[in-house]
Amino acid sequence: MKPRIGIFGLSGCWGEQIVILNCEDRLLDLVGALDIVDFLGGSSINDKEGPLAIAFVEGSVANEREEKALQRIRERAGLLVACGTCACFGGVAAMDAAVSREEVIRQVYGDGGPSAGWDIRPHRPLSDFVKVDFSLRGCPMEKSEFLLAAASLLNGDVPQLPAYPVCLECKMNENDCLLISRGLPCAGPVTTAGCGARCPGYNVVCIGCRGPVEESNLSSIEKIFTQKEVSELDVRRKLRTFAAPALDRNAHGGLA
Amino acid sequence: MTRTITVNHLARVEGHGGIKVVLDGDQVTTVDFDVFEGIRLLEGLVRGRSAEDVTGIVSRICAICSHGHSITSLLALETALEVQVTPQTRKLRDLAYQGANIESHALHVFALALPDLVGHPSVISLAAVNPEAVALALRLKKLGNSIQEVMGGRAVHPVNYVIGGFGKVPSVEELLGLKKQIAAGLEDCGRALEILKSIQIPEFVNEPIKCAALVPEDEAFFFGKTVQVCDAEKTIDLSVSAYRALTNEYCVPHSHAKRSTHEGRSYMVGALPRLTINGGRIGGMARKAWEEIRLSLPSTNIVMNNMAQAVEMIFSVERAMALVDELLAAGLAVEAPAPYKIRAGRGAAATEVPRGILFYEYELDGEGRIAAADVITPTAQNLDHAEDQMRAAVQQGARAGASEDVLRHRLEIVARAYDPCISCSVHVIRR
Repeated sequence: MKPRIGIFGLSGCWGEQIVILNCEDRLLDLVGALDIVDFLGGSSINDKEGPLAIAFVEGSVANEREEKALQRIRERAGLLVACGTCACFGGVAAMDAAVSREEVIRQVYGDGGPSAGWDIRPHRPLSDFVKVDFSLRGCPMEKSEFLLAAASLLNGDVPQLPAYPVCLECKMNENDCLLISRGLPCAGPVTTAGCGARCPGYNVVCIGCRGPVEESNLSSIEKIFTQKEVSELDVRRKLRTFAAPALDRNAHGGLA
Repeated sequence: MTRTITVNHLARVEGHGGIKVVLDGDQVTTVDFDVFEGIRLLEGLVRGRSAEDVTGIVSRICAICSHGHSITSLLALETALEVQVTPQTRKLRDLAYQGANIESHALHVFALALPDLVGHPSVISLAAVNPEAVALALRLKKLGNSIQEVMGGRAVHPVNYVIGGFGKVPSVEELLGLKKQIAAGLEDCGRALEILKSIQIPEFVNEPIKCAALVPEDEAFFFGKTVQVCDAEKTIDLSVSAYRALTNEYCVPHSHAKRSTHEGRSYMVGALPRLTINGGRIGGMARKAWEEIRLSLPSTNIVMNNMAQAVEMIFSVERAMALVDELLAAGLAVEAPAPYKIRAGRGAAATEVPRGILFYEYELDGEGRIAAADVITPTAQNLDHAEDQMRAAVQQGARAGASEDVLRHRLEIVARAYDPCISCSVHVIRR
């Protein structure tokens, strides 16, 4: 019997579901090897009740409806994989949690806008609500890491993914260092690798989309950035674009 | 006697939405296209961020249109900062848009909408009976992604687009690699056309469609500074900088997305309006496809948008080939991004992304930070129009005695005809 798989999206941009669909060369193999029984993004007939070997969940938790949906997925799933930075860390919608959402709403929707009764809070990662068995970082997650994780987990293996910073991949690619030689605020030293140091390869600074690497020295990188004539406020914001809840708790990327 | 038809959770669209229609006898009294995707408020959250940071954040509004969001954001910033980009940068961005259009339309036409039209619940079950068609669609989708990867560095959430141009200009070798894939794509378009010709588009709804699309200034089909709005009665041209006269946004209680109407009437953006307004610019195999699948515009059948997307997909493969040839013939210059000085300013821009017109406007303070931001996505503009078309579809079906199940399925087909991107629509920015 083929393993029963569910693919779910909470609040987000659909990026991880698109990444899965972007595995064009492997998609028919995947469909052949797996029984994808619950995938609202791809099918109008879904089994919403039965057990799942693996649930892949993208997006962050934005409201009570999603909190309940996530708990239901957890009950059904043998393994729950958080897919992408929103699911792992809250993502961009978790930025500036201290700023009142009511105030932001007034700015976005104007005075004629919503709306008493709307359930609006800063977004949270999945691990704030349920046990997460495995995390695939990245905004979006990498195709290669998704395929590796799916294959490993289905064979009873724990996928081995990088636990070192983007800097290391950047050095291996022999890129000119954007932080040291060009004086640009690159978050490579504190961000988990696995992207192949994609951005520095395009002469563009790392913006931390894969979340903090374990044991990263945040205060040191903040000091270095501030020396590069970036104001303290800008530094805080730059480093907290994708993983604000984890950084604010000072939990340096302790993920499943 | 009243009855309610609901679609609790619309499948095969991006994001979370549902539909509720109330009938009194055979008279439709209420249509709610309910968007309950969680609100992300990115628009408000980017205030205070620097001009160089903002594009990497707003790209996250939508995965499938992330190249369009990035480039439109940059165009608005470049207007505000008075940056002039080179003709080469314009061509490379144009090429990125062809990639996005190929990818998005191949996915929607073949994987999300086609199952409806041939009686399957999903592309997975379709793959079991017609693997060739699905493999063909995946190859075309991959071609679109390859173009986006070469231009933007990644298919979803590009990294290579910066104010003034590109972090790294694609190489001649990369363009030669694309040329080979595009040539194979042109052959696949021929095969795709054979499949498309065999599809019978359902004709259960007959309702006029008010169209809006950008008018291109040159060969760049998805770029322009003027919006044209037209229906059977009149045609109006508006400047992009005065886009609020078109979009007139307002809020409704049942939806997390803002709505748009023009002169009190809903309008549509997307492939069908683009071809209705700018179809004279379509030649080549795309024109041949247009004729062979008997696409007749203007149309009063919203489901034909799927066929308009198919024609546009073929157009984009042909246009991509022309652009690669032009870029290679001119010789690729390794250009640094155009320089700019931080200044206060305001800039609006619009482009045609796969689902229709995407508007961006920024106000920058003297330190180059975002003082205000406004983003209006195609799906947000289409929501009112979709409700009007759903009303017509149910009304016409109910009068002809269609069953509730048939009406419910028709609601889904109408919703999916727009290729709605619900993730996008809830992330509207407003001052």
